[in-house]
Amino acid sequence: MRLLLAVILTFPLAGQAPADPQKPDPPPAQAAAPPETPQAASAAAPATAAASEQAAAPAPQAASPVPSGEPDISGWIDFGYRFRSNVNGSFETYRSIVNLGEGPKLFGADLTLLDPRKTLFDTMHVVASGWGGDPYGSLHVDMEKAKLYRFDADYRDFSYFNNLPSYADPLLTRGIMLNEQAFDTRRHVGSYNLEFLPGSWLIPYFAYDRDASSGMGSLAFVQSNNEYPVPTTMADRTALYRGGIRIELRRFHATIEEGGTTFSSSQSLYQNPQGTNYGNSSAPAFGQTLDLTTLQANYGITGSSTYSKALFTSNPLSWLDLYGQFLFSKPTSNVNYQENAAGNLYLPSQILFYQSEEYLALAAASMPHTTANIGGEIRPMKHVRLTESWLTDRMNNSGNLSAQQSIVPLSGALQTAAVLSASLVSHYSQTETNLYVDLTPKLTLRGGYRYVWGEANDAIFPQGNQLSGVDLTKLRRNVGLGGVIFRPTQKLLLTAETEVASSGGVYFDTSLYNYQKVRAQARYKLTTTLQVALDFLMLNNQNPTPGINYDFKSNQEAMSIFWTPNNGKYLTFQGSYSFSSLRSDIFYLVPQSLAQATSNYLDDAHTATALFTLNLGHVGVFAPKLTAGGSLFISHGTLPSSYYQPMAKLWLPVSKHAQAFAEWWYYGYGEAFYPYEGFGTHIASIGLRYTR
Amino acid sequence: MQQGPLTRSIKCMPNTKFVLLFALLASAARGQDAKAPDPPPAPASPYVGSETCGTCHEDIAKAFAKTPHHLADGKDTKRGFNGQACESCHGPGAKHAESAAAADIRNPAKLTPAQTDRVCLTCHLNQPTHIGRLQSSHAKDQVACTTCHKIHADGAEALVARKRDTINTQCESCHLAVAAQFQQPFHHRVPEGAMSCIDCHNPHGSIQPAMQQSFGANEPGCLNCHGDKRGPFTFEHGPVRFEGCSTCHSAHGSANPRLLDRPQVKQVCLECHANLPQVRTATTIGVVPPAFHNLNLPRYQNCTVCHQKIHGSYIDRNLLK
Repeated sequence: MRLLLAVILTFPLAGQAPADPQKPDPPPAQAAAPPETPQAASAAAPATAAASEQAAAPAPQAASPVPSGEPDISGWIDFGYRFRSNVNGSFETYRSIVNLGEGPKLFGADLTLLDPRKTLFDTMHVVASGWGGDPYGSLHVDMEKAKLYRFDADYRDFSYFNNLPSYADPLLTRGIMLNEQAFDTRRHVGSYNLEFLPGSWLIPYFAYDRDASSGMGSLAFVQSNNEYPVPTTMADRTALYRGGIRIELRRFHATIEEGGTTFSSSQSLYQNPQGTNYGNSSAPAFGQTLDLTTLQANYGITGSSTYSKALFTSNPLSWLDLYGQFLFSKPTSNVNYQENAAGNLYLPSQILFYQSEEYLALAAASMPHTTANIGGEIRPMKHVRLTESWLTDRMNNSGNLSAQQSIVPLSGALQTAAVLSASLVSHYSQTETNLYVDLTPKLTLRGGYRYVWGEANDAIFPQGNQLSGVDLTKLRRNVGLGGVIFRPTQKLLLTAETEVASSGGVYFDTSLYNYQKVRAQARYKLTTTLQVALDFLMLNNQNPTPGINYDFKSNQEAMSIFWTPNNGKYLTFQGSYSFSSLRSDIFYLVPQSLAQATSNYLDDAHTATALFTLNLGHVGVFAPKLTAGGSLFISHGTLPSSYYQPMAKLWLPVSKHAQAFAEWWYYGYGEAFYPYEGFGTHIASIGLRYTR
Repeated sequence: MQQGPLTRSIKCMPNTKFVLLFALLASAARGQDAKAPDPPPAPASPYVGSETCGTCHEDIAKAFAKTPHHLADGKDTKRGFNGQACESCHGPGAKHAESAAAADIRNPAKLTPAQTDRVCLTCHLNQPTHIGRLQSSHAKDQVACTTCHKIHADGAEALVARKRDTINTQCESCHLAVAAQFQQPFHHRVPEGAMSCIDCHNPHGSIQPAMQQSFGANEPGCLNCHGDKRGPFTFEHGPVRFEGCSTCHSAHGSANPRLLDRPQVKQVCLECHANLPQVRTATTIGVVPPAFHNLNLPRYQNCTVCHQKIHGSYIDRNLLK
C-alpha cells in the first residue's frame, strides 16, 4: 500500500513539463571602474622551479575535445636517459631527500585521444610522469562520453626511503651509525571513479580507492630494561568502496553515498638466531649483560568500516542558500599479536632474569564517528550578506585488549594475563557567523564571530600502577573574525584577514590559546610586462597558564615577480623570495629531575626561487630555448640547514614534431650540527619530446 | 487491544508522512524550477543566442566551444539554456547586440567577487562540490570562482585544471608563503609534481580544518595515503584524533626528516608531556609525565625509538609496540 502510494505521489514529478530556461538574475550594478580580473594576476605569479620548468617548455598542442579536422591523438611524450654523478657525502640522506636514479626514463606524457565516431568515448586524456624507477610515478586517465558516463583513474607509485642516523641513533656514542627508525617502502595509491549520466538531474556513481604499502626497515624491540634494534618488514592495504546517487535539481541538490573499507596489515620484527643483539643499553643489570638472541614478533591486523554520507544544498528563495551534511563512519579493527623472544632478558618489577618469553595479545577497537553541519547564506540587501553555520563532530573510540605472557627463567615458569579497556571520546562543536558588506564596488568588509566548544577524554582501565589513567579536558574558544578586500584600480588588489581568539580551555599545552592570526596579500600590475605579488602571514599565540607559559610567534613574508619584456619574445623571468621567522618558548619538565625548564625553538629561513627563460634566436636552422634558475633554502636557528637546487635546461627543436632537450640539476644539502649527513650531487638528463 | 484498520493506518502514518513529505518537497522543487523564471515575452525575446554573440566575438566563441560549458549551447534539458550559453552568464544580450555598447551587457569580470560567484552559482550551487562553501576561506576572502576557473580560455584544462603542475602553479600564485615552505628539504612531493595541492585540500571548502580533504565520510584526508595510521587503535594517541596530524607535523615542509614541527622528536613530545597535576592546575591533556628517563643519554633522546607506535597502538598502552 505504501509502495503504491509512493508511486502515485511521484507521478506529479514526471508529469511536470520541462522547466523553461532559468534566466540569470538581472546584472548587478556595474562598477564605475572595472576591477582587475583575479586570473590575470594569478597567471602572473611565479611557480616552483620544477613546475615552472614544465611551463617554460615549448607549449604542447592544446588539447581539444572538438573532433573535426583534428588528429585522433594529440599531445606529447618525453623520454630519455638520466645520469647521476657520485653522491658526495651521505648517500642515505640523498636517498631520503631526492632519490632520483640513473637509467632510461619516461619523464612524462600528456596525450589526448579523440574518437571521431564517439563509440566508446568522446575524449580520453592520459597523463603520465616519472616511470622507469623514479621515486614517484603516476598515471592518470580520464575519459568521457557526453551525457552517458565519465570515468577517471589515477594511479601513483611512491617510494619512501628515510634513513638519517641523526634522527634516531641511540648507539652514536658507541660509534655505530644506525637509524633505529628507518624505512624503505613503496606505496601504491589508486583511485577509480565512474559516474553515469553526467549533467543530468540524477547521477549514480561508483568509486574504488586502494592504498597499499610494503617494504622493510629497522625498529627497536622494546623490553623492560633494554631496546634491541632489529629489522622489520611491513605491509598494509586499505580498500575503499563507495557508491551513491546525486540528485541535482535547479534549486535543490542531494547526495546520498554509502561506502565501506577493508584494511589489512602485517608487520614482523625478527632477530637472526645466529647473532647476539646487545641492545641500546650497555649497562649491566645486577652484573649481568642483557641480550637478545632470537626474536619473532608478528602483528596480524584486519579492519573494516562502513560509512554513510548525506549532503544537500538548496536555494529555495532568491535571497537564501542552505547547506547541510550528515556524515557517519564506524571503523573497526581486530588484532592478533604473537611474540617469541629468547636471550638474557630481565624483568625489573620482579628482579628476575629469564631466558625466553612468549607474549600473545588479542585486541579489538571500534570508533563510531558522527559529523553534522548545517548553515545558510542570507542576502537581505543587495550589498549585504550574512552567513551562519553550525558544526558538530562526535567520536567515540573504545578498545579492549586481552594479553597473556609466559616467562621462562632458569627454573620454573611465570604466567601473567591482563585485560585492559580503553576509550577516547571527543565532542566538538562550533558555530560561526559572518557579515559581508560591499561598501563600494571596490571595497568589501567582513566581520564575524566563531565560538568553539568541546570535551575530550582519554581513559584506560584498570589504571594499575601506570601513571596514565583518565584525562579529561574542555575546549572553549571565542574568535573574532575580520577581513577586507580592496580593489582601488584594475591593477591593484589588496586583501587582508584576521582572527583574534581568546580561550577558556584547550586540549593540549601547545594548542592555540589566545592567538592573533593575520594574512595580507597584495598584487600590483606595475606595467603590462611586470607584475608583483606580496604575501604576509603572522601567527602569535600565547598560553599564559602557570606551568605552560607558551609563547609562539611566527611570521612569513613572501614576494614574487613576473617579468615578460616584449611579451616574452626573448626573455621571461619568474622569481620569488620568502623570509620566515619562528620563535617558540614553552615550559616543560626535565624528565630525569622533573625540574621546570624552557623549550626554545628558533628558526629564521630564507627561500628563493628564480627561473629565466631565454629564446636564443635562430642558430642556423634551430631555434633553441634555455631555461635556467633553481631554488635555495637557508635556515638559521635551532637546526641550521641549507638546501640548493640550481638547474638549467636547453630545448632544441630538431623537426616539426621533435625537440631534443638536455637538463642539469644540482642537489646540495647541509646541516650545521650533523655535517656527516650533508650531500651534493649532479644529475643530468638527455631526452626527446615528441609532439603530435 | 484488538488492532483494527484505524490503528494500522495510524501505525503506518510516520512512514506515509515521510513518503508524502518527500514527494511534496520533490514536487515543490521541480515546481519551483518550472515557475522560477518568467517566460520571455513571445514577440521580442531579450535573448539572442550564442550564434549571434559569436558573429562579433569570434575568438571567444571558438575557444568557448572547446570548454565543457559549451554543452549549454546544445539541447540543455536540465537548465534550459538551449543555445544560450553566453547569455547564461552575461544575461540577455538583445540590447547589446543591437547597440554593441559594453554598458548594455553584463560583464562578470567587472562585478564584485560575490556578484561573480552568484552568476556561477546560479547553476553550480546545487552540486556536491559546494557543500563546504560556508567553511571555505576562499569564499570568505571573496576569491571569486573565476580566479581559478577561466571561462573563455581555450581548452578544458583552463576551466578546470586537472594536471598537477597546473593546479600547483595556480595555487602558488596566491599562496606564496606556502610555496616557499615546500622548498624545505623534507616535504610532500608537491614541487616535484608528484602531488597536487588538491590531493590534500579542497579549494571549494570542507568541514575539515584548513579545508582538508576527507577520507571516506568524515575522517582526515591524510588517511587517503597513510591508511596504516587510521586505526582505530586500541590505545589511541589523543592529539591524532583531537587536533589532527598537524599537532606534530608540518605537512608542507620541515627541516625534520619526519616533517615534525620541532627539530627534535623529544621537543615535540616533552612540550605536551610535561603536565604533572601537582605542578600546576592546568587541565590540558598529557598528564602522562615523561617517565624518569635521563635525556643526557642518547638512548632517550628520541622518544619514538621506544614509543614507536606513536600514532596509536593496537596492543600496548604505552605505545611501545
